Amino acid sequence: MSGISRRKFLAASVAAGAATTLAGPKKALAVGSFSGYPDSMGVLVDLTRCIGCRSCEAACNKEQQLPDPNLPFDDMSVFDQTFHHGTQKRRTDESAYTVVNRYKPEGRDPIYRKVQCNHCAEPACLSSCFVNAYTKTKEGAVIYNGSVCVGCRNCMIACPFNVPAYSYSSAFGPVIKKCIFCYDTRLKDGKPPACVEICPQEALTFGKRKDLLKIGHQRIQTHPGRYIDRIYGEKELGGTHWMYLSPIPVEEVGFDPRPGNEPIISHVKDFLGVVPMVLAIWPALFTGFHLLAKNQEGHDDHEHETGHQQGSGQKHDDEGGQQ
Amino acid sequence: MKSLVELGVKPVDSLINEKNDKRWSIMDKLLLGLSPGQYLGQALRNPFNWILGIIFAIGLPLIVYRFIFGLGAVTHASNDYPWGLFLGFGLFCMVPLSASGFMLGTTVEIFGRHDFHPIERLALLNGLLGYFFAVIYLMIDLGQPWRLPYPMFWSFGPAAVLFLVAWHVATYLSVQIAEVSVAFFEWMDWLGGKRFIRRITIGLTVSGIILSTLHQGALGALFNYAPGKVHPLWYSASFQWIHFFVSAIPAGLCMVIVVSTIIKKTMAWRCDDGFLDSLDRCTLGLAKGASMGLITYLVIKFIGVAHDNEWAYLATGWGAWFLFEMAVGVLLPLVLFAYAIRHQLASLARWGAVFTVFGIVLNRLNTALITFNWKLYQEIPHIFEFIIAVTVFAIYITTYRFILYRLPILYSWKEQPQEALAPEAVKAAPINTTPSAANAVYRKID
Amino acid sequence: MNAKQILTTLMMVLALIVVGSTAMAADMPEQVSLDTMVELFDAVEFDHEMHTELGEDCSVCHHHTTGTGTTDDRCISCHANSDELATVACVNCHVIDPFSSEQLSQKSQEIYRFHIDKPGLKAAYHWNCIGCHEEMDGPTGCEDCHARTPEGDAFYHKDATGHADEGSNH
Repeated sequence: MSGISRRKFLAASVAAGAATTLAGPKKALAVGSFSGYPDSMGVLVDLTRCIGCRSCEAACNKEQQLPDPNLPFDDMSVFDQTFHHGTQKRRTDESAYTVVNRYKPEGRDPIYRKVQCNHCAEPACLSSCFVNAYTKTKEGAVIYNGSVCVGCRNCMIACPFNVPAYSYSSAFGPVIKKCIFCYDTRLKDGKPPACVEICPQEALTFGKRKDLLKIGHQRIQTHPGRYIDRIYGEKELGGTHWMYLSPIPVEEVGFDPRPGNEPIISHVKDFLGVVPMVLAIWPALFTGFHLLAKNQEGHDDHEHETGHQQGSGQKHDDEGGQQ
Repeated sequence: MKSLVELGVKPVDSLINEKNDKRWSIMDKLLLGLSPGQYLGQALRNPFNWILGIIFAIGLPLIVYRFIFGLGAVTHASNDYPWGLFLGFGLFCMVPLSASGFMLGTTVEIFGRHDFHPIERLALLNGLLGYFFAVIYLMIDLGQPWRLPYPMFWSFGPAAVLFLVAWHVATYLSVQIAEVSVAFFEWMDWLGGKRFIRRITIGLTVSGIILSTLHQGALGALFNYAPGKVHPLWYSASFQWIHFFVSAIPAGLCMVIVVSTIIKKTMAWRCDDGFLDSLDRCTLGLAKGASMGLITYLVIKFIGVAHDNEWAYLATGWGAWFLFEMAVGVLLPLVLFAYAIRHQLASLARWGAVFTVFGIVLNRLNTALITFNWKLYQEIPHIFEFIIAVTVFAIYITTYRFILYRLPILYSWKEQPQEALAPEAVKAAPINTTPSAANAVYRKID
Repeated sequence: MNAKQILTTLMMVLALIVVGSTAMAADMPEQVSLDTMVELFDAVEFDHEMHTELGEDCSVCHHHTTGTGTTDDRCISCHANSDELATVACVNCHVIDPFSSEQLSQKSQEIYRFHIDKPGLKAAYHWNCIGCHEEMDGPTGCEDCHARTPEGDAFYHKDATGHADEGSNH
């Protein structure tokens, strides 16, 4: 035995452990406290400017090499389309990563809203994917890797905006289809997405997310009465990178007015935290039960049920042996 | 088979053919000791097989069609309702109903309640087949099912609840295969394998409890990803996983009661007295356990309502539907079980089990399909989805029956008597001995 | 003065008028060709001279850069006494590509700039023009001002001939 005694060894281990644990303040990042990559980009969508020309849909179709549409992109009759017995307007699907819908509030001109992936700061799709197919890039885009996708479609369940679409028409290679902020072709190089570039009314303003918040609040302030005092996506669901300014309450243009400020993952974190607890506690707990259930001779006690007759001719004797 | 048995035909239940003292071959064991002609004859005379035949004639080509033409060809290809019946029924309903494996394993092996031993193997088989076919349903539902191993080996997303489900179901299937393999090893006379499994049974059972707790709960936690989409009465921000886990307990126990009832009514010829004579007692015992689970579930569901202050929803249409599910699926079985246990009425307990199974299926379908997207339109799955779901369930029943006919699940396997025992007793035993006398001769290993 | 001196003065005055008016004509174009979207839309041949006769004052379109100055409440506080600028073409302030990475990095360096929300050229034209056009029955449709090129027709999938009810896949 070397010069170290067991007592000294144990003492040293405890001291080392304590030192590591207490070594300096650890930054505890609670969920929903991720304020985003500092220079990430975003888009501010101004619903008072959009005129429903659908040039953004055309630009996206071209940029992302999507299939030909059913109707021309300057055909405004699509705004009259409804689905499911008149309850639903158009939504994104495998051939359209963005759509514009029209809303006709009482006593004012129609309002048009562009729908696309909102590129959330803490995306639900990313949190729910068990093959890590989604990535939130530092530029702000939520992109998708179809080569690992198994097709479980949990991301579609999770997205609070019902954005991801699935290419059900493909028998052997179906994947998720959604707006990727033109990451591969533009955003990676610092360029604005195709829809922003084409918009004749500059309804879409591209810039750093933190600058867009300043611009948005400045617009609200310098045009009193034009907008409701809210940038939708500033805090909602942990913050999104595509945000909206609206002249009327957001539920009147198809948004959920109270989705909460928590990212979707915060609803799941409590369960995820239980998992290691069960893994740690159950073994000892149930082994303990088993040991308690055995009587003192070390045999399992099976003679103790009260008053029920046994099956005829068959004793339950796990020791084997003769009857 | 029932009529054949009445005529004196004895299906294979031991290693040795009593008539010629030779070991049964694999073919004999598969055909239950009948000749191929006899076996085919009894199969064709069985009306249930005609129904299965019709289902397979329509459904099997449809399943092939799904794989050739994709999901869009057999579903509504909905982007708002990505999960349909394959997951809503095949996964979310079958998994809790298969919780019997860990329940009876725990009861018998951990808590030492060997009085439930006669029904233990049936419960383990029920668990194994339920999970296995849940995976089959999953393979039909996945967009690229050949990529099923991806979350296991290729690309990990460990923060996702589904990652946990994937790993646990895969691991738990292995555990259950091991537990059911005891019966298989007996049947194949591979006693080394059997002894090995017996040695690790406690470890397997504890693993089974851990895995089951977590993935039964995880299936509930999947809906925590969509807090706004499931109706509040079926969604609990804090307790969703607990609700799913606790309800799985009566689900598994009652599924065993239901299956054993069907067996008693349709396959009694395959069961030995040990099974049949203890069935009523076991049924009542399972009913007691299920009652504990059900009353707990009832309370925690209403705690959930109170916690999120959802009382006002009870006065709506959805509220009425919720109360119906609670009344028929939880309260009614509780009443039936209470009366049945008090008065030792196994048949009444069986009705309670039927309503419990109904209630579990309804709860899972409500959560996954019916009240999902309650603020949007209601989606009815495509007729092809219904047909495929029924077909896979028919395959499940057929597989279940196939195994129950053969493996020593409902009967005890009679081993070769040892030389040390009185070999003359073997020759002296008449061919058509009564079961109890025959048991006196043979050594049983459970 | 003698006759020669009167003639010289008259010639100088005339020269001043001619030169002066020529200079003014050089400042104010008669027609401007707006051609930044020529891949999709033909150039707009904008009749500037006609519009100068329509508007009360240059500042109606050119803000405070020329004319009698602005009267907008939001602008007066800083620009009440702003000087006229040497060039007042829209494109001098409202850039063609407002969101290019060069523009954005330039913006991030101008930390004291107040107008962080300045529209680009396309938006400036459309916002400035369409309002009056709507009041005064001018052209308001896209192709009323700029016809589409064949590439433009392809961009908008003019020949798509599906059915209206085959819409987005719910």
